[in-house]
Amino acid sequence: MKNSLKFRVGFPLLIVAIVIPMIFPFIWMFMSAFKTQVDIISWPPKFLFSPTLVNFNKVFNEQNFLLYLKNSIIVGVAAVFVSLLLGLPAAYSIARFKQKRLSMMILVARLMPGISFLMPWYIVFSRLGLMDSYTALILSHILIALPVVVWIMSSYFESVPMEMEESAMVDGATQQRAFVSIILPLSVPGIVTATTLSFIFSWNNFMFSQVLSMEKTRTLPIAVYNFMSYAEVDWGGVMAATVAIMTPAIILTMVFQKYVVKGLTMGAVKG
Amino acid sequence: MKRILAVLLIVSLSFVVFAQGASEAPAKQQEIRVLLANHPYGELLKPLIPEFEAQSGIKVNYESLQESQLTQKLTTEFATGSSTVDVFMTRPLQEGLLFIKNGWYGSLAKYDFGDYPAASVDLGRKDGVPYIVPLVIEWQVMYYRKDLFKKAGVKVPTNFVELEAAAKALTKDGVAGFGSRGKGAAAVTQISSFIYNFGGNYLENNVAVFDSPEALEGFRYYGRLLGNYGPQGIASMSWENLMPVFQAGKLAMWTDASVFLGQVVDPTKTNIPAEDIGVAQLPAGPNGDSPFIVTSWGMAMSSKSKNPDAALQFLNWATSKELAVKGMLANIPMSRDSAWANDTVRKNMNAELIATQAHAAKNGYPLDRPFMSAVGQARDLIGEVIVEAIDTKGTSTRLPALATEKAKAVNELLKADGEYGGK
Repeated sequence: MKNSLKFRVGFPLLIVAIVIPMIFPFIWMFMSAFKTQVDIISWPPKFLFSPTLVNFNKVFNEQNFLLYLKNSIIVGVAAVFVSLLLGLPAAYSIARFKQKRLSMMILVARLMPGISFLMPWYIVFSRLGLMDSYTALILSHILIALPVVVWIMSSYFESVPMEMEESAMVDGATQQRAFVSIILPLSVPGIVTATTLSFIFSWNNFMFSQVLSMEKTRTLPIAVYNFMSYAEVDWGGVMAATVAIMTPAIILTMVFQKYVVKGLTMGAVKG
Repeated sequence: MKRILAVLLIVSLSFVVFAQGASEAPAKQQEIRVLLANHPYGELLKPLIPEFEAQSGIKVNYESLQESQLTQKLTTEFATGSSTVDVFMTRPLQEGLLFIKNGWYGSLAKYDFGDYPAASVDLGRKDGVPYIVPLVIEWQVMYYRKDLFKKAGVKVPTNFVELEAAAKALTKDGVAGFGSRGKGAAAVTQISSFIYNFGGNYLENNVAVFDSPEALEGFRYYGRLLGNYGPQGIASMSWENLMPVFQAGKLAMWTDASVFLGQVVDPTKTNIPAEDIGVAQLPAGPNGDSPFIVTSWGMAMSSKSKNPDAALQFLNWATSKELAVKGMLANIPMSRDSAWANDTVRKNMNAELIATQAHAAKNGYPLDRPFMSAVGQARDLIGEVIVEAIDTKGTSTRLPALATEKAKAVNELLKADGEYGGK
């Protein structure tokens, strides 16, 4: 059946039909980033136009985009790093000792609307003189990253057979040693997934950065709004900025997606 | 036992952290924090701030934000009582009442308001104390395509009957005859002049009256115009959707605030040659000729400012006569009377625009939305009436009932804030 003509023609067509509506906004965004304002607004829409780099010039030269990029990277990397440091042992403990209540509490922290954290945070951080500091932003982004790490990893650890740890412990390792030397290396694919996802969530976060950052620590999603002012929207600038922001996230996903899939097929069960 | 120890450890650790925070020295002297909006006037100020710093010896830390972000940030900072803001840009009609009520604005009794229209200052006044310096004004105008009018042999409409006829005549060849905001809450400000011109209003003595027969006629007329002659999808369009349609040449008349003229005629942003674009005052209605003319932006001081003298000094500079003239020359219509009297300004500004301003200043109404603390919610409620009117092209039979229902809801909001009835 797989080789029937109907299938060979129909399946690719079906894929195209599904993919186009999904990918069209991205294509449109990408094209608009290279258009002048006049081309962007022209009707009927132009698919052939002479591309311009004006918008990217605005993004990287007139705006302090490299600073915002640096801020986003620092905050994202640090928040994910701390989350892994705390979250991996936590997830392991939840998986091994069936601490369901603890894991629910962590999930609740993620499910609560982020805005309910903002006020207390603002009070605490401003009293501590931490406003416009990376510390405040990193701490707030841990709230985004940590539950992701814990939830992905606890179910991952559960799937690692208990026998492997037990045999390590028979050989004289402590449970901590078994976790670090046996379980963690086996869980790399899961860790990569958790890292990628939590980094992207932090990268895209808008609300926390908006209130807790100021000029010096402003992150990328906030910076997109630099192109929107009262009674004026610079669509070209917005699109170029969005392209610049999305590119690292897309590359990251594409690179690690392969890795994750490969890791999963190798499977921990084989061991 | 272990648990108690752990709790003790956490408590003692957090003490260390908090103690550090408390011992932090107070802000250095003569340093202020300023929040600006992403607004042409903010852009105008930014490069000049170093001049002010050199002149006054005050260090200015400024930040510039998109307006809804600005409001959210200010609200968060003030509500938690830990704000470090000294001076900020503010929207008197959108957040003024709420901020005044919460005591977030600092008193400006020492500021010289002699050069401002009294009505614009009074909106930011409570119990005789002024709190907001009016900065930028805007009023409703009608942008139109001179070339299309000529081709269709239509004259610029001066009343609502002519406006409807013109809209009808100009709707052809893929061009929509008339456009104005149709997206619920956003449309509230733009339909306001239509309602005034039919003799209606949103609030009277702080009671919702937009279900009156006059106001309903306004809703119906607006709905009929947009439903019949508006661009496709008008009920979900705000200015950011309509402007591109006008710039692309697919709209013959567009009523909105005066602030858009600069972008409409900018050759890098529009397909239409500037000489084909005209600006006219909003046509008169059967019971009035009062386009809105409002103070869209003001500047204020925080009541929590630790440096009120430096803050006032900055405010005086940032709202000075000289800068107002600079603003006018950068196409920003300023609140100061003297800026409009300036000769250089009059020579350089679009004459049609000056004429519409003169008309609005003389006949206009100083509000474009229900003036109340819960203005955002009220706009959503009124917006539903507008969308219903547009969707049915003004013919809806349930419009009166809907308007009455929403007016009741707005009255509830007024009551909840203790603003219902009287001043």
